[in-house]
Amino acid sequence: MSLVINSLRSHFFKHLLCTSTAAAAASTATALIFGHRTRGLVGQSRFSDSVFFFSERYKLLSQLASKTATFSTSRSSSSLETLPTDSYTSPYLSVTIRCQKNVADMLSEALLCFGANSTSIDEHDDSEVGDEICISSIFSVSQDVKESISLAVDSIGLKEIPSYDVVMHDHTDWIKESQESFHPVEVIEGIWIVPEWRKPPDLQATNIILNPGLAFGTGDHPTTKLCLMLLYDVIKGGEVFLDYGTGSGILAIAAIKFGAAFSAGLDIDPQAITAAQHNAALNNIQPEKLFLSLVPSTGSATFTHEIVSKPTDRQHLNDKGVFTETEKFHVVIANILLNPLLDLADQIVSHAKPGATVGLSGIISEQVPRIIQRYSPFLEDIKVSKMDDWACLAGFKKINLG
Amino acid sequence: MSTLKEILTRRPVAATIRLTVPAGGARPAPPVGPALGQYRLNLMAFCKDFNARTQKYKPDTPMAVVITAFKDNTFEFTVRSPSVTWYLKKAAGLEKGSGRPGHVTASSLTLKHVYEIAKVKQQDPYCQYMPLESICKSIIGTANSMGIKVQKEFD
Repeated sequence: MSLVINSLRSHFFKHLLCTSTAAAAASTATALIFGHRTRGLVGQSRFSDSVFFFSERYKLLSQLASKTATFSTSRSSSSLETLPTDSYTSPYLSVTIRCQKNVADMLSEALLCFGANSTSIDEHDDSEVGDEICISSIFSVSQDVKESISLAVDSIGLKEIPSYDVVMHDHTDWIKESQESFHPVEVIEGIWIVPEWRKPPDLQATNIILNPGLAFGTGDHPTTKLCLMLLYDVIKGGEVFLDYGTGSGILAIAAIKFGAAFSAGLDIDPQAITAAQHNAALNNIQPEKLFLSLVPSTGSATFTHEIVSKPTDRQHLNDKGVFTETEKFHVVIANILLNPLLDLADQIVSHAKPGATVGLSGIISEQVPRIIQRYSPFLEDIKVSKMDDWACLAGFKKINLG
Repeated sequence: MSTLKEILTRRPVAATIRLTVPAGGARPAPPVGPALGQYRLNLMAFCKDFNARTQKYKPDTPMAVVITAFKDNTFEFTVRSPSVTWYLKKAAGLEKGSGRPGHVTASSLTLKHVYEIAKVKQQDPYCQYMPLESICKSIIGTANSMGIKVQKEFD
């Protein structure tokens, strides 16, 4: 992760050629974040009012004029879309407000309505005397903190604005803090998932070293564990494996470690692909064994494929850059969410060979019937395994599908 | 009404965090990242859990989440659907409510809209035992305070 941050601070805005070394992966990571993300941002439907979006970004630009070299490179480039900051890396304001205990809840709700990104109230021990309590609230840098607080205070009927402090934090602060919560975890006997910054507790065991970055898949989530257990049972050696929704690449890398011949990982999030490439390098996986690609989130064929430009990868993509390997994989696992699983059922199953094992997860127990209903035309012998209210389905693709 | 066992095994609470996150769109980035990161909570677990539980809502509706963080770095959270005013504004196609409610009508909706909103609201943990009729009445009240007229049918 520090590699990514360091390279953020240097000039990088160039088109990339991927190599499998970690350093290059980091520089591609930054170009990916800014190059692809800007394109993605403009296209995404969630920013319905694009004019507002651009003006907000320009406010951000002017406020952070002197910060880092990244801003100057982006401003110097011609197109309107190349905006420097990305919500993952922007600084944020942390505001601490002191107020009475009885109004704390209402004030935090009101703050959320008037522009705060989040509010949190620390619990005090009852032994603390006094009526005051602290609300710490997070605003984005472009927000007018004073105005938001005064509107919030007004709306709940307080007469005076309580005292507050504003501190600007860098994005690295919360990233570092969240990384502290990762510890090595033993998923199956003899298989450990170890974060990059910790030492493996058992050097003899199969250790998968991970730096999830900002992608999903640290190894301690029940669905990841269920999928790893499924992989462990199914992979006997020499299989070809597809990880649909690869996140940090953990399942694809684990498959190679268990003995698969080749793994492919697809994801709609460019952050995931860069994290997966970084993790593949950490685990010394050769690029011939592991292929990672971005897929369009809406299923349309038009997306830029500058991300994957390794020469060996071109063979898997057709001339439009779309991943079209059908019926090639012995094992396909999709650990995503209910709605994508329902929408992409045809695509996910099309990649599997007849008789192949298809695993589906990322769903809670109550969503299992819908998945079974959607996938029963394609899969037979569906088994459900559960852990902690999360479920994983495994089935075999029907041999003769009409 | 907690049972005695629950009270005895209740974990000490470190903090209560309130957030607005789009349904199915939780990512380990602001707003989720800094807010949970400072209490050392597992961001991935929260994002995955939240996304899975909000699959039944339309993507990107802003959900209000209240997270209770315990001192042992575990957490629980409850998700509420967006406020009634948000639904009304969306249904009526408005950006803001009327400036002078009661005098100036900003827009109008039918009872069918109110019924649909009430059905979504009833899935909230707090409204599950309320009769649908009283939820509808409170939605009509909110609509009146925003300057949105509720008619039986569109003319």
